[in-house]
Parts: sequence; structure tokens; C-alpha cells
Amino acid sequence: MAKGTAGGAGSPPRFFHRLALWLRRHPEFGAFAGTIIVFIGFSFTATRFLTADSIASILTVAAELGIVSAGVTFLMISGEFDLSVGSVLGVAAMIFALTAKAGWPHIAGWLLALLASGGIGFLNGFITVRAGIPSFITTLGTMMFWRGILLAVTGGFPVSYFPSGTPWMFLVLNGRFAGQFRASAIWFLGIILLLNLILVRTRYGNAVYATGGNKEAARVLGVCTDRVKLMNFVISAVLAGLAGCIQFARFLSVDPMRGLGLELEAIAAAVIGGTLLTGGAGNLVGTLFGVLLVGMVRSGLVQAGAPAYWYQAFVGLIVVVAVVVNTNLRRWALK
Amino acid sequence: MKTAEPLVKMVNISKSFGTVQALKNVDFDVGYQEVMGLVGDNGAGKSTLIKILTGVFPPDTGEIYFEGRKVDIRSPKEARDLGIETVYQDLALIPLMSISRNFFLGREPVVRVGPFKFLDKRRMDHTVQEVLSEIGIRVRSPDEPVAILSGGERQSVAIGRAVRFGAKLLILDEPTSALSVRETHKVLDYILEAKERGLSIIFITHNIYHVYSVADRFTILEHGHKVAVFRKDEVSAEEIIEIIRSGYKGEDDGAA
Repeated sequence: MAKGTAGGAGSPPRFFHRLALWLRRHPEFGAFAGTIIVFIGFSFTATRFLTADSIASILTVAAELGIVSAGVTFLMISGEFDLSVGSVLGVAAMIFALTAKAGWPHIAGWLLALLASGGIGFLNGFITVRAGIPSFITTLGTMMFWRGILLAVTGGFPVSYFPSGTPWMFLVLNGRFAGQFRASAIWFLGIILLLNLILVRTRYGNAVYATGGNKEAARVLGVCTDRVKLMNFVISAVLAGLAGCIQFARFLSVDPMRGLGLELEAIAAAVIGGTLLTGGAGNLVGTLFGVLLVGMVRSGLVQAGAPAYWYQAFVGLIVVVAVVVNTNLRRWALK
Repeated sequence: MKTAEPLVKMVNISKSFGTVQALKNVDFDVGYQEVMGLVGDNGAGKSTLIKILTGVFPPDTGEIYFEGRKVDIRSPKEARDLGIETVYQDLALIPLMSISRNFFLGREPVVRVGPFKFLDKRRMDHTVQEVLSEIGIRVRSPDEPVAILSGGERQSVAIGRAVRFGAKLLILDEPTSALSVRETHKVLDYILEAKERGLSIIFITHNIYHVYSVADRFTILEHGHKVAVFRKDEVSAEEIIEIIRSGYKGEDDGAA
């Protein structure tokens, strides 16, 4: 409670006050710093890390994870979880693949995949809000349920689709440009910017923060918290579905285990970016850096010659370190 | 006493939850520019009465009149639209959110850009800065999270919000229960200031001494019954405490 006791111009207390003020408004700082450090680290250890191709491959990994993580972050800020995003991604990709194989127009298959994803998200939200149970449980259940359906329908076999040439829908979803860069990076950045704009600059964003910050308080102040949550479940699922279609446009095949474990990576990227597990704080810029960090680690370790197994260990380490740093920064800034 | 029509009048209110009778035939009224102390022990029915008035749930029987008109309040939002603002003890503000986002929650001013509506941050910050300086709270920026404010400052900001949005009736639920002595005095002063500005106030509390210093009248509830209504000049703080302690003894009017 040292506010209003700033020292003279340029003295250390004033500097720290300014810093604290700034940090309170920028929970993404930890992830930003981490991204820079890891970037510099790999620039020295992995010789080809700083090439355009390498950066493109980082973005390709980061974008697909990031589209999922953006929705998960949005939902987490409003105080709920979505563990079913990996399964939803798989379901959407499968719908897209099967409809394409069946000769549907690609755009119709894509829209159906998104619609189905939105439906699953609505169901997640509806059950959570109506039954008043933790979304961790609801979406744990739906995660297993839709994965099971996916396995049952396909008999466990992958589905491939070989179009003649590259259809325009696939170009829009994940075409290449400027060498090895892919459209998914543009989708990713656009979605991050759009969601962050909604979060920071609109009434709905205010309602999202309030719902996650204190649901009861938000409710008595006139925020329709159930509707906010329901909406965010739908957003989270639709973005997972979109990521599934984008990924399918890259691989042109999908197996029923597609997206397995993705939910935890998406949550990891969000918390690395400073989003609170308990809701009410965070933003999409943090998630952007969280996702870039994860993408760099994946690409960088391979390029540095480390066996691929190290990836998980490294990301696990980063999650814990990042949250320890974020928590302490937050605590210090609020003192 | 009953010279003019009161601002709010609740008549013959009853409410049960399952087999528990929370309120039984309670009459309650608050005059214009009056501070009404609503007191009673735990489970007396104070918060049930207030939640009926603020539209959290409907009464089983009874009627509510606001500014002389019969009203049917079905949600907190409807209560707010009538000019009834409530500051709940723990739900006044959301700590993780900035002061200005809290202040305008649910009724943010917006600027239109084509079909889109964006928060009018400049107006929000300007208004909040103004209110904060009226209350005497100094912060570096309205963008600061509420978490950096003390308990008393939070109550004051919440009261300031109600005043700013043109509330006619302000309901304070235990506004001083978690505050230091000095902060309590600040909040009590601020309650009187709100009254000076023309608001009516319902002050719910366990602490008779806090409410006694600012209230004009007191309504005492006990086990869902109204035990007594006093003007301040009819009763001392000690007598009120005695009535609450001795408990409700049947249908008599509890004339102390």
C-alpha cells in the first residue's frame, strides 16, 4: 500500500512504481521475455534457426496450436475449462475429410465441420451451466465421448483425401506463401487480434473478465454470466474445429487419434502467457507468446540435434517456470 | 410519522424456502432521503427481505411499492433500472479488474465504429478519476486493478458508483463489517454524503453502533418477523441490542 508515496524524479521507488503499474496491466510480460530468451538461446545453439524456413516451420506449428489455444484462453478467462478441444479438432477434421471424399463442395464440408464443433461446444456449455458442474468434468467426459465416437466410426483407420491439384478452399485454409510460410499463420494472428480486441475494447470483453473474476458479483451487477460462458464454450469449440480443418488442409489425411493431448498443450500455452487458471485475468497477447514459445521449443530442439523426446520435458519445464515467474510478478506488482 | 408517501413500501411480505419460513407478513418502508437501519441477528430475514426488494427472488405473498407505484421486480437488472442499487459486502467489486472496468460493469459507455461498439475508454477513465477525487482516493490510474484498494476504498467506490448512476435507493449490506476503525468512519461519512445528495439508504448490519451513528430509523427483524420500528430519538443503541438479544417473543409489538 505504498501508493502516492513516490520519490523524486528518477529515484528508484518511482521507477519501481512505474514498473509495477506497467506489469499489472501486462500479464503477458513473462511469456514475452521467455520467448525472447529462448529465441536468443536457439539462435546460438541451432545453426539454421534464424532462417526464413525455420521461422516458417515454427509458425506452422504455433498457428495450429495457437488457434485452439486462443479459444481456450478466452474460455479460461471467463472461468471455465475445455478439455474436449483435442477431440473436437479430430471430429471436425474427420467431418471435413469424409465430406470431401464423398464429393461435397469443400466449403460445405468446412461449414458443417464448424457447425458440428459449435454444437459440441454448446453442449459442453449447456451441461456445465445447467447442471452446475465443473467444466473440467463436463469436458473430460465429452473429450472421451467424442474420441470414442471418432474411433468407432472410422474403425481406427486414418482417412485420406487426394484432390486433383490444390482446391481453393485448401489454399485459403492453409496454402503456402512467401516460401514456406502458410495461411494458418494469418488465421492465427487474425484470430488473436480479433479476440483480444473483443476482450479489451468491448462490453462483451468486460463481461468475460467479470464472469471469470467473480461470477456472483458479476451476476448481481447485471452480467448474464451463464450466457457469457455458453458463448465462450462455443467459441472455444469452433476454433478447435477450425484448427482441425486447417490441419487437414496441410496433411490431407486424418487419423482418429488426431488432436490427442492437444487440450493440455493449449492450456499450457495460455498459462505461460499469464492467463489465470482460475479465470478473471489474462489476454490473448500472452497466449500468442506462449504459443510461439512452445513452437520454438519444438522446432529449435530438433534443429539443435536433440532427440524429439526432449520436447515434452522442455515444455513441461517451461510451464512450471513460467507460472512461478508470472505468479511472483503479479504478487509483486500488486503489493 | 407517516406524513408523506415513502420512497419504497413493502407490504405483508412472506417467503418460505421449503419448510423454512424466512419471512412472515413483514411490512417495511423507507422514506425519501432517509437512512434506514435494518438490523437483527443471523437468520432474522434481513437479506431475504433485501433480495426480494432487489429482484433476486420473488416473494410468496406481499406487494412492493416504489415511488408510490406498485412494482413487480423480477431481476436485479429491473431493480437497478428502477434506481435501486445494492452494494453487497463481498460482491461490491471484482478485484482482478481495473477500477474503471468495475465502475461501469454492465453499463459501459461505447463509441460506434460502423456496426461495432467499442468501450469509450476515455470517458470511462475521466468519470472514474472524477469520482475517485470526490471520494478522496488517490490512484495513479483508473486502469489500476481494484485489488490495490483497501476494503474501505472499495466500499466507497461502490457507493460512488451507485450515486453516479442516479440511484434513488442505495442498499448497503454490511458495508463496514471488515473495515478498520478509521476506514469505517470514512465509509459512514460517505453514506451521509450520499444522503445529502438526496438518496435513501438501507443499511444492513450486525454492528448497531455503526448504523446508529448514521441512521434515521431502525427496523428490527427476528426469525422472519418484524419486531419493531423506531425513530432514532425513541431508542438508544443499547436498547436495540437488548431487543435483539432477548429475541422475539410472540406477536406483540416489542415496545421497548
